[in-house]
This record gives sequence, C-alpha cells and structure tokens, in this order.
Amino acid sequence: MEQQLLRTLEATCIQEELPFCTAACPLHVDVRGFMACLAKGDERGARRVLDRTMPFADIVGRICDEPCRQACKRSEVGDPLAVAALERHCVTSTAAVLKLTKLPDREGKVVFFGSGLASMTAALDLARKGRSATILTTEREIGGSLRRLGEERLPLAVLDAAVEQLGSYGVNIIFDCQMDAEFIEYTLNFYDAVFMDRDWSAIDDFCLDCRHPNPLSLAVARPGCFTGGGTGPNGYSVIRQVEEGRRAALSIERYLQKVSLTAGREREGACATRLFTDITSIEPLSVIAPADPAAGYTVEEAAREAARCLQCQCLECVKQCAFLQAFKEYPKTLVRKIYNNQAVVQGTRTANTMINSCSLCGQCTLICPHQFPMAEVCVTTRQSMVLDATMPPSAHEFALQDMAFSLGSEAAMLRHQPGKSSSRFLFYPGCQLAGSAPDLVEKTYLHLTRHLHDGVGLMLGCCGIPAHWSGRQELFAATMEEFCTAIQENGNPLIITACSSCYVTFKEFAPQLQIRSLWQILEEIGLPAGKRAPLSQPMTIHDPCGVRKEPEIRASVRNIAGQLGMNVAEQPFSGELTDCCGFGGLMQFANGPLGEQAAERKARRSSLDSLAYCAMCRDNLAASGHRVAHLLDYCFPGEGLADPLLRPNPGFSGRHENRARLKAQLLASLWQETSALPLEHKRIALDIAPQVRELMEKRLILEEDLQKVLLHAELSGRFLEDPHTGHRLANHRPVRVTYWAEYEVRDSGYRVYNAYSHRMILPERKTA
Amino acid sequence: MSTFSFISPTTWRCAPCNGELQPEKVNVSYMGSIFTVELMVCPSCGFVLIPEDLALGKMHAVEQLLEDK
Ligand code: SF4
Ligand code: SF4
Ligand SMILES: [Zn+2]
Repeated sequence: MEQQLLRTLEATCIQEELPFCTAACPLHVDVRGFMACLAKGDERGARRVLDRTMPFADIVGRICDEPCRQACKRSEVGDPLAVAALERHCVTSTAAVLKLTKLPDREGKVVFFGSGLASMTAALDLARKGRSATILTTEREIGGSLRRLGEERLPLAVLDAAVEQLGSYGVNIIFDCQMDAEFIEYTLNFYDAVFMDRDWSAIDDFCLDCRHPNPLSLAVARPGCFTGGGTGPNGYSVIRQVEEGRRAALSIERYLQKVSLTAGREREGACATRLFTDITSIEPLSVIAPADPAAGYTVEEAAREAARCLQCQCLECVKQCAFLQAFKEYPKTLVRKIYNNQAVVQGTRTANTMINSCSLCGQCTLICPHQFPMAEVCVTTRQSMVLDATMPPSAHEFALQDMAFSLGSEAAMLRHQPGKSSSRFLFYPGCQLAGSAPDLVEKTYLHLTRHLHDGVGLMLGCCGIPAHWSGRQELFAATMEEFCTAIQENGNPLIITACSSCYVTFKEFAPQLQIRSLWQILEEIGLPAGKRAPLSQPMTIHDPCGVRKEPEIRASVRNIAGQLGMNVAEQPFSGELTDCCGFGGLMQFANGPLGEQAAERKARRSSLDSLAYCAMCRDNLAASGHRVAHLLDYCFPGEGLADPLLRPNPGFSGRHENRARLKAQLLASLWQETSALPLEHKRIALDIAPQVRELMEKRLILEEDLQKVLLHAELSGRFLEDPHTGHRLANHRPVRVTYWAEYEVRDSGYRVYNAYSHRMILPERKTA
Repeated sequence: MSTFSFISPTTWRCAPCNGELQPEKVNVSYMGSIFTVELMVCPSCGFVLIPEDLALGKMHAVEQLLEDK
C-alpha cells in the first residue's frame, strides 16, 4: 500500500474525528471523557480531564459560557448536556489533580500589558514552554473583568490562587504600573514579543494597530506584537479570553521560533467535525437539574446528568461486523496495521491473520457514512501478499483444494441437454449447491428442461471466486478464462446460476456473458405443480452477502416464497445490509472460530426459522445449530417426511462426496454414461463417530485424507500400535500436510478414533 | 543451541519393528527453517511419533510463526 493511499483511507474513516462538543470548544476540552468519568462517579478522573486542557480549571470550570452545549448531539434527542454546570460541580468539589509540566527555561522574553484572563492564559502557556513572561498591569490585582463577576460566580480567592499558580511557573507580575505611550515604547525595547490584553480598557489609547489583528495569529502590523481578549461583539465571553490568550501564546511561540504564524492552524479553536453518530435508536432524555440550584449538583445528580452523554463516536461498521469486533479495530486503525504489516522486512507480520479474516462482504462499506472500502483494501492486500510471497500457505490452501476438486474430473462436467446438440440455456448450480443438496440440483435441472426450450445444458464446476478471495489473481484469471472459453465453445448460452456468488462473479469479471439468476427464471416459468405441506410458521429470509447490490434477485426470491404460501417476516439486517455467513472472503478457512461467530451472528438476527437461498449460508447456519432450509427445498419438496429445516450440514467431506456422486449419477441417469471407477483409496471403508467428524470439520481434514493415510499404512505396514487398546496410529503426507489417523481394524472396515494434522515436515524413514 | 524436547513415555510401539519408541533427536523443517527436536522415535526404522497435543499445540504455533515471517 502506498503511503498516499494510506492517508486517503485514514481520512475516509471519521471515527477519530472530534466529538461535537469538543470541536465546538475553543480549547477542545475532552467533554466526552469528562462525562464518562462523572457518569461512573470518578470525580478526580473528571477533574484530571479539565486540568489537562484548561489553563485555569478553577476559573474556567466555574464560569465558562459553554459554546459546546449548543453543539451537543444530545440536543437532537432531548436536552443538551449541562456541560458548564457539571464543570462547575467538578471544580468546586475537587482540588486540582494534575500539575502540568514546565519545560526548562529558554531564551525569549515576552511582556503582557493588562492582566485579564487572556494575558494570564498566554503568560501561563508561554512560561510552561520555558519562556520568560512578565505581566504589567495598572491595577492592584489580576483578573480584569473577572473581578467584577461577583463572589457568587467567581470567588476572589480563586483569583488569588491563580496568582500563586502563575508564580509557581515563574511568571513575573508587576502591579500598579504607571502606563503611557512612552513607557510602553520604552519597555518594548527589553522584550522579544508583546501581548496586549484588550480587556484593559485603556489599550486603545496607546495602540491603534491593536484593533485589527490577524484572525488566525492575532498578530498586529508591528512585528512581534499580538493582541486578544476583551469584550467582543457579543459582550464579555470567558472562553474567548482563554481562547485568544492561548492562540496568541502559540503565535508568539512560532514568532520566537521564526516559523510561519499562520500555516496549519485551521483546527485550532472551535472547528468543524465530520464525526457521524447515529441517534436513531436513542431514547430522548431531559436534563437532570440539581435539586438545589444554588448549591449545584450533588455527586449523584452529576453522575445521572453525565450519564445522558451519548459518548459520541461513529463505529457504525463495527457495531455490525464480527470481523472488526473480533480484532477490536475500526477501519482507520486497521489500515494502519495493514500498512505496517506490509512494511515489515525482517520480523513477524502480525496482521496476516487479520487481513485474511475479513469476509469481503461489503456490509461495512454500505453502512459507513463515507463508504470505507474495507473489502477492497483487504483483497488487494492479499493479492500483493501472494505476489511478494508473504501469504501464509495454510490460510487458503484447503479452500483452494476444495475449488480444485470441484473443477476436477471427479466433480466437474458440461453437457448439452440429453438428446440436443446445442444449448440456448446453461444451468450452473455452483459448487456449493452441488455439495450441499445434489438432489435439488437434479430436480431443478429437470424442471428447467421441461419449461425452457431449445436446450438447457448443465455445467458442474466452481466459478473460481475462492481464488479471487485468496488473492490468487493468476489462478482466478485462468479459471475465469477457461470458463468463458467453454461457454463460447458451447454457443454462448444464457447462464442460469443458482448461487449468488457465481452470479456476481460472472457479472463482474465476465460482463460479456449473459447471466440470469435461477430465481428470476423460476419466477417466470413458475414452480412445479403438486402438493406441498402447508407452511404456516413464519420464517425469516437470510439474504446472502452476494446479493447486497442485486435488489431484483432479492425481490424474485420473495415472490417465489410468496407463491409457495410462505409467511416471511423480514429482519432488519437483510437485503443490502445482510451479514455474511462466514464463507465470504474465505473467512472460515483463515479463521475458523471467527467464521463460526459470523454464522452465529447472522443466524441470531431473528429468532424465527430461517430461509436461505445460498447453499453455503444454509450449511453454515445449519452448522451453527439453527433451523434453516434452502428455498429449493420448498420449491422441489422431497417425497419423504424429512423436514428440510433439520437437514444437517454435510461438512467438507460430505460436500466432496455429494459433488462426485451428483456427477456420476447424472451422467448415468440422463446421459447414459458410466464414469470411471473410483480411486483406490475411496474403497477404504471408514466408520467415523460424529464427534470425530466434528473434529475433522474444525481441523479441515477430509475423509479422503484419512482414507489415504489408511491405504498407505496398511499397504506399507508402517504404523504404530498400542497393545492395550489394539488401536493403530499412522500418518501420510500427500502434499503439504501430514495427516494422522488413530484407528482400529474391524471386519467391516476401519473405525476412526482420532484425526489431526500438522504442516511441519518429519525426517525421511531410516534406511537400514 | 539447545534442543527442544517433547519426549514423554508412550504406549505406542512400532508395529513392523515390534519395538518400543525411544527419545531421539531428529530434524524437522518448515518454510525453509530446520529445527532439531527430541521426539519419541522407533530406533530401528525411524518412525517419528507426533502426538495430537504437540501437533495442535507447540508445533502449530511454530508453523504459524514461520508463515508470518
Ligand atoms: S452527547 Fe456527550 S459526547 Fe456527544 S456532543 Fe454531547 S457531551 Fe459531547
Ligand atoms: S462506519 Fe466505520 S469506517 Fe466508516 S467512518 Fe464509521 S468507523 Fe470509520
Ligand atoms: Zn520401527
């Protein structure tokens, strides 16, 4: 990933944008953090938040005119937070928690005329940076207009404490100065920079310049002179004194460092924020007022008021995505990790599993207010990992072998309709439907041949999307090309896909082909007549993630369900917001536990029985123990009484078996062709207990792998034996994985007790 | 370099050699890295036992680490 792209992506995700209150606060006080502390009764934590940002928390916290309050998101669902009243509660009930550090003294002497809050703030900020700061005032005390607010609002003792605070940072205050233009001119000779506090009403008598400071830097025409504070168009604002004092201090610091006074200062002071916070499901709440307004909030009342804070953030995508939740990231932090991962030259690439765990389903992009392209980032990263040979081999190997099986001689086939020599249509059920429900493939095919004319061919195979998901561009391109060539050689029939992944894959990567979804065709040609069990219980539809952008297909499915008399109750995360079942992006292969969580999450969106129309969704939801059927189960009901909602997940071995059997059976029954004899190892009869099957499924071990272990062991006679149990233990490494099987020889075949595997290569056998 | 040892008494016996397994240092490798480890091995034919917990535990962790290198 180029750094430029990283920056663009980082800017796309707005999760780290300032909350509305903080953006509106000229000091950018972390109001959200403040509220979080108060809400849990952590008064000192709340005080620490104020101490960190406010120059004089005891003053500002008491009397701030709270511009943040108007910006508070809560005002859209109830009253805005009573920020100033809570701050007042906090500073009156706690002492300062944090004393901010001071840098070592440096050159640069600054003088401040006038001793209002702007001067106080600027002097404190500069003294903390190690600059020498001297306040000159004609008065006897500091504070300027602050002194006239009344003991109620601001006790004078607080100002005395501020004098002490300034002193502790080395700020020099000279009271009772006799000031005239001459004195000022003379004084300026001894200082490198000057700040004029406009709270000092006499200032205009000395400096005409001071009326027109630069709004960004507060610099006036004369070099080294800055001004701020005082009464503005809307009267005297406390926070404005602090803001301008701080802004001037930053300008003076820049001036002393001889750098630009204005560059890059747009986000200083109150600023805009791009944050998005969803409030659609938030209950409106009114402000909690203190029972005794004169005394202010009690700790308990403050906690209740602060608890109304929405803790504004975005995380819209994270709220829905099992992947983002599992890695505790949001896209902005995630792309940074991806970038760093790719920059690793020597050392461990710790983000590989994360990169391979995204289901590439695109839900987040649709939810995101700025369409963050998470799937695109992950898939292109995978592609570059494959290219520079840093892709972990184990992540996708199993899935790619599964794809190779579907495309291989045992499972793949392409024929014109029996008795025809050309095809106007071609039914393409896809590898997963063939693997999950081979009988439904056959019934659907026969139905199509009865209602569509001019030949309906049949093609069994795999669209190749696993190659794309795994970042194998070359393999994917080759698979696609082979498919397109076959289609062309067969006269460009209209391809009818039963699987939505195949549909969108062909649509995106072979746009020249004619494709339609089986559901649209069924809607047109109708369903087979015949008796069906009445379907009264309400069901919910689980759209596959592939049809997120295919509203017509989703509509056809619902029409068909309607024709079948089904009682469909929609759940909110269907349609374009639908979840992935864990198969997408090969998530479940690169990260088994996460795949299970994704399936579980999808299933739990509704407590009703589920209707799926993607075979993989159906199988994964069934694997997670939910009642789920495929729409074809109801279109072409079986003879028996078997409830399609209870059809188990066939598992990886079962799918292989089903695909191979489907091909052999169709060839025999429809085309009168006999297929080759099964491979030698397929004749090894295994007896596998369900719990061992479950282990094999999780460990990605196929029955076939064990058949090969046993064939190898029994032919070579090389195995271990346990004299107590009579069990045997043997291994075999067909390609890159060593499979182990613990088994027992029975009359009828082999009873399997355990199966596991590793990739580490063991030494060759000893030659005697 | 010290050798990692994963030996523990086992009831598995080598069937063709009809003998007990014994601790032995062997070289295992993955992704171009070679490790010398002590495992239970048939002294006469060299059959190496990798028990389930080793395959799914330590060995798996090392494999993953090497894949991320
Ligand atoms: S709800 Fe809380 S975080 Fe959001 S703007 Fe208001 S005070 Fe700030
Ligand atoms: S939805 Fe997600 S990616 Fe989009 S801005 Fe919010 S946190 Fe970032
Ligand atoms: Zn032996």
